Amino acid sequence: MLMDNLQSLRYFYPELTLIVAMLVVVIVDISFNRLRNVLNPLLTIAALLIAAYFTAYVNHGQEANLFLGMLALDSFAQFFKLFLLLAALLVVLGSLHSEELLQVHQGEFFALLLAVTLGMLLMANSINLAILYLSLELVSLTSYIMVGYLKGDRLSNEASLKYILFGAISTGSMLYGFSLIYGMTGSLNLYTIRDAFLSQGVQGFDQFTILLALVLTLAGFGFKTAAVPFHFWCPDVYAGAPTPVTAFLSVAPKAAGFAILVRFLFSGMTQTSGSEWGLVNGINWPLVLIGISVLTMTLGNIAALTQNNLKRMLAYSSIAHAGYILMGSVVLTGEGLKSMLIYMFVYLFMNLGAFLVVTIIYNSDRSFEIGDYHGMFKRAPFLTFAMGVFMLSLTGIPPFAGFLGKLYVFLAVIEKGLFWFAVVGTLNAAVAAFYYMRVIKAMVLEEGNGKTAPLHVSFLNQALLVALLIPNLILVVFWNPIERWTASSVKLFSGL
Amino acid sequence: MIPISYYLLLSAILFSIGVFGTMIKRNMVTIFMCIELMLNAVNLSFVAFARYHSLIDGQVFVFFVMAVAAAEAAVGLGIIVALFRNRQTLNVDEADLMKW
Amino acid sequence: MTFSLSTLLLAIVVLPLAGAIINGLFGKRLPNSLVGLTACGTTGLSFLLALVVFSKLLRTPLEEIPNLSFNYFRWIQVDNFVASFGFMLDQLTGVMLLVVSGVGFLIHIYSLGYMAHESGYYRFFAYLNLFMFSMLILILANNFLLMFVGWEGVGLCSYLLIGFYFWKKSACDAGKKAFIVNRVGDFGFTLAVILIFWTFHSIDFRIVFARAASFSVEGFASGGVLTTICILLFIGATGKSAQLPLYVWLPDAMEGPTPVSALIHAATMVTAGVYMVARCKALFLLAPKAMLLVAVVGALTAIFAASIGLVQNDIKRVLAYSTVSQLGYMFLGCGVGAFAAGIFHLMTHAFFKALLFLASGSVIHALSGEQDMRKMGGLKDRIRRTWWTMLIGTIAIAGFPPLAGFFSKDEILWQTYSRGHVLLWLVGAVAAGMTSFYMFRMMFLTFYGESRVAPEVAPQVHESPPSMTVPLMVLAIGSVLAGWVGIPHLMGQYLGNLPNTFEQFLEPVLETAGQEAALPPAEGTEWAVMLVSVGIALVGLLLARTFYLQKPALPERLKTRFRGLYITLLNKYWVDEIYDGLIVKPVKTISTYLLWKFFDVMLIDGIVNGTGHLIRGGGGVFRRVQSGYTRSYAGWILLGAVVIVVYISFS
Repeated sequence: MLMDNLQSLRYFYPELTLIVAMLVVVIVDISFNRLRNVLNPLLTIAALLIAAYFTAYVNHGQEANLFLGMLALDSFAQFFKLFLLLAALLVVLGSLHSEELLQVHQGEFFALLLAVTLGMLLMANSINLAILYLSLELVSLTSYIMVGYLKGDRLSNEASLKYILFGAISTGSMLYGFSLIYGMTGSLNLYTIRDAFLSQGVQGFDQFTILLALVLTLAGFGFKTAAVPFHFWCPDVYAGAPTPVTAFLSVAPKAAGFAILVRFLFSGMTQTSGSEWGLVNGINWPLVLIGISVLTMTLGNIAALTQNNLKRMLAYSSIAHAGYILMGSVVLTGEGLKSMLIYMFVYLFMNLGAFLVVTIIYNSDRSFEIGDYHGMFKRAPFLTFAMGVFMLSLTGIPPFAGFLGKLYVFLAVIEKGLFWFAVVGTLNAAVAAFYYMRVIKAMVLEEGNGKTAPLHVSFLNQALLVALLIPNLILVVFWNPIERWTASSVKLFSGL
Repeated sequence: MIPISYYLLLSAILFSIGVFGTMIKRNMVTIFMCIELMLNAVNLSFVAFARYHSLIDGQVFVFFVMAVAAAEAAVGLGIIVALFRNRQTLNVDEADLMKW
Repeated sequence: MTFSLSTLLLAIVVLPLAGAIINGLFGKRLPNSLVGLTACGTTGLSFLLALVVFSKLLRTPLEEIPNLSFNYFRWIQVDNFVASFGFMLDQLTGVMLLVVSGVGFLIHIYSLGYMAHESGYYRFFAYLNLFMFSMLILILANNFLLMFVGWEGVGLCSYLLIGFYFWKKSACDAGKKAFIVNRVGDFGFTLAVILIFWTFHSIDFRIVFARAASFSVEGFASGGVLTTICILLFIGATGKSAQLPLYVWLPDAMEGPTPVSALIHAATMVTAGVYMVARCKALFLLAPKAMLLVAVVGALTAIFAASIGLVQNDIKRVLAYSTVSQLGYMFLGCGVGAFAAGIFHLMTHAFFKALLFLASGSVIHALSGEQDMRKMGGLKDRIRRTWWTMLIGTIAIAGFPPLAGFFSKDEILWQTYSRGHVLLWLVGAVAAGMTSFYMFRMMFLTFYGESRVAPEVAPQVHESPPSMTVPLMVLAIGSVLAGWVGIPHLMGQYLGNLPNTFEQFLEPVLETAGQEAALPPAEGTEWAVMLVSVGIALVGLLLARTFYLQKPALPERLKTRFRGLYITLLNKYWVDEIYDGLIVKPVKTISTYLLWKFFDVMLIDGIVNGTGHLIRGGGGVFRRVQSGYTRSYAGWILLGAVVIVVYISFS
């Protein structure tokens, strides 16, 4: 069903909520000098919850194309929107007691976070290259500012600069790819593009142009998902940005990047016949993605081995995880897509958890170096336990949630007969175990260097830790709801 | 009438100059100008294709790109100013606190 | 205020869990009184709700009971495999529910006093509550998988509680032993569940049983599948319920605190195997060979454990072997098809064995931790309440009318005899005699005769606090009365036509279709069998009296006379040593030399460390690529794009 602008508005409530909240936060920030520090977080949290409510209930069960075919309203978008709102909510909660952010004025931070969230929701929705570009830029521009949020901090400045330069180049390449696609097909709508590729073949444009367009486009998506070789910004930016922002970047925009990647490739470059998928005109993009995926996870894991800065290590680790997630996209099956979503879902909890621990330790010790984590077990047993769970979960060791994600991804590629791919993934997980265990070892086994005072963990952070621990611990037992949810979310691609 | 391939060739050349510029130039502001060059190449090819297909949406796209480019330049310059205050330099190669 | 059954059942289960969570997380900071209140309060409430549920069950029309199944949420679904988190309620569940929550509650109260001076008070109650939760899950589950969750949960709690005194090596070893031996049984159970799903495409009890019944009509049961399933299930039961050959962990489990021995290793958890066999009655009835195996193993365990119990000196070990032996009776009952009798014995046993254990705990408490009966004696007047309650328990277990043990044990023996298993009956009867002997031996050694209490302990002998003695008395009353709900028809007809209420109540679930008594119910025979068992118990009593009260020198003479036999019994037939030599040692040798020294250290470590160094080196190279210069990053993008294009173009 194609809806015009007025009809569409009532399905646009989640985004509208965020827009209104963003403006209100800015107004509150300049109007209420004393109350703003309390009001702004509350407003942000409320807005995110209301948006989630609209996404989950009001839009439920509708399948439509909004704004004359600009945005899709479907279960795939719904999954991502809820996911992104949840991620944003957790990051807001995690940032409240972050000493890094408390040093500077916090007002715009929440407005910016709402803007990024808005951009990500639109990314998850968009089926038109123009909206896709605009939403991606909305996310990028606001994240540049968030990364450079600590104005007086040289690391933060540098991270921000590298991010914007790299981002601008990548999106420029992507745009050039878009223009080539537009030139070939005469359309900006993903479905029309696919139909054009299918019906008229590639008249006047040889395979090489299509390939070039595809690769240039992938530069943009690869930048958002931090896939090799478009990952270079990632370690530097993650290390320089305020930790809550790093946590956010490592999960949310990455997930949104996967959303547009999947949408672009599966709606625009894949043909559906029943439950089987085929490639459009022999555009063999899965081959590209296999290569990228293998490189991404291998490079991420191996480079993480020698890192001593926890944030940098987690940056490389998040690159590696992008590689695992990509594995699910190359097999062209519903199972593969489902495994991507499951992986992202569990990744959210374990990665945010790990970053939260890093934030908490920085709050009292002002350090990201692994050497300063020594003897943490004696100072903060619960924190150490939580970090242990997050690390084991990231490694993918049962019975923690991370295992579930890897299991589904590996199963998906094995089902397709790509055994060697699964083997590569498993070997990578084994390498990854090395640096994750190193953190546990540092915290539990190594002797502390002088500091013995118990580490203070605020009540909010404790509660948040517990909230992040629970999914990590129980998802392996109660994975069924997640499985059903993700399975129903990818149905639209398989045409079932 | 000038065939479309001319426009495309010009666009490709502009784009390449932009890309190489980002790699060769050391001055941050110059790099931003190179990025603008890349975006203009994109704009050119969009307009050319829109004309070729007799469609309007390619031209609309160009307006979006220009608007976003302006925003990007604003943010970018803001970041450069912040960096300059802390570092007193515009050389990107000196922004290498974080590596390996 | 009325709640639906499903809510009540959920509350019964969740309450102890809440207690466990509260005590587990915050117990360390709470005062002991609050910890105790939380633990006892939640289980007490559970018990009250169980009573409500039971009364509702009694008022439910019989034909509706088979529909009482509540699925709370779908737990796992993979293709056509569905496992719900759901409970069911029928007469069997009702009885178990009362026994578990009731006895459990009393033992919680008792623990308040018994554990008062121990460190780790909160830990103890958290585990105990967790145990209640798991046990309730086990008996309420409406499918095999959820039952298995409870099954493993109680195993875990048992392990934790046996090793409660974790600073004692023997306690840790005992905990590990229990855990490992149980794994063997669990393996059987797991295989059985898999096979059940394979055969019946469901794991829901009622669906499986319904399908099994229809299979048998088509002659499917003649195949070995059902027999295999039943034998595997029974292997699971032998682990949990300490039957031959997996009983070895139970005596060692007495390392745990006494309330734990009473609750877990006497009254509830160890009966889980019996419950499971009774629950799967529909399957077992279709597999006569498996039934026979159950009966034979049960009878053998009964006499085997009883014979070991004859010579043990540790008061708790006597009771432990007695438990193994009584569990044997229950399996004997189930094995010959008298499931109701087996469950009846389970119930009465829960009362008197919990009583005996708690009383022995009270004795140990009075003697400041002494467990050796050779260092007791003459305590009758010092701790009177403990004495008379324990005496009731002893009479009950020995099988003297009209106490509980008589009715249930006699029912099992009569059913065995009447169904033609004369040999098994004989074994059971002899074991009953032994039971009577060793129980009275224990009584006489502990409470009568000269005091052999160590002089430094003697002045401090004191009766236990009311929180310990009150549960003893309640259980003692239970041990007297519990049997009366199942008075056999034979006696009932002379007592104003009293029906056998218990069996009638369980009739809808545990009726033994197709296995009608082989012998005609001749009244004279039944009286005779009854007399024989009472007589044999009396012989045991008299023998014990002669040996340990009148002529204390006699046992010593017999010891020297039948030295070989005595040593064999004292060393428990060397079963532990045999297992050690046949299984533990070879496994250790293989794992040390082949698996560890060769595979692990040489092969794996060599490869892993080598690879590790290699990869670390690679990491060093890779991180150099991240030069920190923005411009080089831009170059890498371009290079990457070019490589991809070239790669695709040529592939």
